[in-house]
Amino acid sequence: MSFDLSLIYESIPRMLSGIGITFQLMFLSGLLGLILAVILLLMRISGKWYLSWPAQVHIYIFRGTPILVQIFIIYYGLPQFEFIRDSVFWPILREPFGCAVLALTLNTGAYVSEILRGGVLGVDRGILEAGSALGLSARQKFIYLTTPIAARLALPAYSNDFISLMKATSLASTITLLDMTGIARTIVAQTFAPYEVFISLAIIYMILTWIIQKTFGRIEKYLSRYVNP
Amino acid sequence: MKFPILKSLAVGAVALFAAGSVQAETLRVGMECTYAPFNYRTADGELAGYDVDVAKGVAEIIGADLEFVCQQWDGMIPALLANKFDLIVASMSITNTRLEKIDFSGPYRDSIGRLIGKADSDLNLFDDNGAPIAENFKGIRVGLERASTYENWFNATLPGAEIVLYDGSEPLYLDLVNGRVDVIMTNPMKAQLRFLSKEAGNKFAFVSPAISEVEFFGVGVGIGLRQGQDELRERLSAAIRELINNGSLKEYALKIFPFQIHNDEWGKS
Repeated sequence: MSFDLSLIYESIPRMLSGIGITFQLMFLSGLLGLILAVILLLMRISGKWYLSWPAQVHIYIFRGTPILVQIFIIYYGLPQFEFIRDSVFWPILREPFGCAVLALTLNTGAYVSEILRGGVLGVDRGILEAGSALGLSARQKFIYLTTPIAARLALPAYSNDFISLMKATSLASTITLLDMTGIARTIVAQTFAPYEVFISLAIIYMILTWIIQKTFGRIEKYLSRYVNP
Repeated sequence: MKFPILKSLAVGAVALFAAGSVQAETLRVGMECTYAPFNYRTADGELAGYDVDVAKGVAEIIGADLEFVCQQWDGMIPALLANKFDLIVASMSITNTRLEKIDFSGPYRDSIGRLIGKADSDLNLFDDNGAPIAENFKGIRVGLERASTYENWFNATLPGAEIVLYDGSEPLYLDLVNGRVDVIMTNPMKAQLRFLSKEAGNKFAFVSPAISEVEFFGVGVGIGLRQGQDELRERLSAAIRELINNGSLKEYALKIFPFQIHNDEWGKS
């Protein structure tokens, strides 16, 4: 089978027309997932079983099952119930985009909350004791001491998860969304040239990963400006 | 005879030679295995359906052994080109785009499409002559299988329609029932058996006439094979003509439908 280079030049612009959907999925689920992760984290470290327990169940379920299965359950499974189709959530769940964002958010929220918890647990006891000595309340210690240090500690792992999230957006193509992967699969189905098209697609994702990595590298440097001068 | 041993050796050699020459070639056949009633697995796990019957009928005539390979639809042609199997007998319509990559035998089945929507809806998508009314397609979501001939027909005939692409026919039915798409375009024979005649599909019905423009849907469904195998292609085509002329093809269709699904004209070479 011959390798058609011109097909790469032709298909890259077509696939890039789907980058908007990829970005929307990535940033929306990233933001909502981060908010969910903070809520789950606060629930887990609250010390109250009726808050911590549901958070742990959520994390266990969404880390324990493949994201593709979660997407299918939300997209194909939920509408089987009449009351969901009659509910106020149906306008969101009817759209494949809404289902994809929901699945990615729930999934990334579970992972990120664990990453953040690692950051919180990594804060040196001595710093918190110093805070107590200065007369800071528990809330003040959490906001002014734990949060900035935990964020710095969690950032490398978080950047990894964000890259995973970016790649996971490609799974939205399985529920009819025409993101970059969805467009690529359509081109493949039309041209019967999987190598050229998927390799071009892989290159685009690699460039995106590189950009994300560099961006997080800069943020990391900024947050560590007092630690590693 | 003077040399009985020699004679028996000679006979043995001839027998061996003969056995060698009738030793059947093995053809690997690619199909979805999930596309009832054309190719699918029965409850016992046996492959069955019209495509399977045709493949077996052809194999018997050309004297080949068959080996079935299950392959997802959107990877069917790449898999054939990558030599994962030798023939596609998967209800694949003969089209010009496909002919650029692969060869086809003569047709063995009609290739048409019909739209399905809610039975009680008043969509009025086609006029009395069976031509689509473009403006009535505005704001209507149409579910199609990715890379199907239906997609090409829609893109060319109704460029304004809002198309949602699926990777198989089961998700199409599901989303039609779930209300994510308003109509779907698909193979009417299959939809009748797998969806409309079932409980899930009892609120749905055909909302279009049969659409069979040769320009998009091709002359019919054929057996796909890699290019440059003209001799094999001719043997396949001749075998299909024989199946048409001896009534086997009609018999295969009547197992499933109350009508035949090929054109008798195809039997003339």
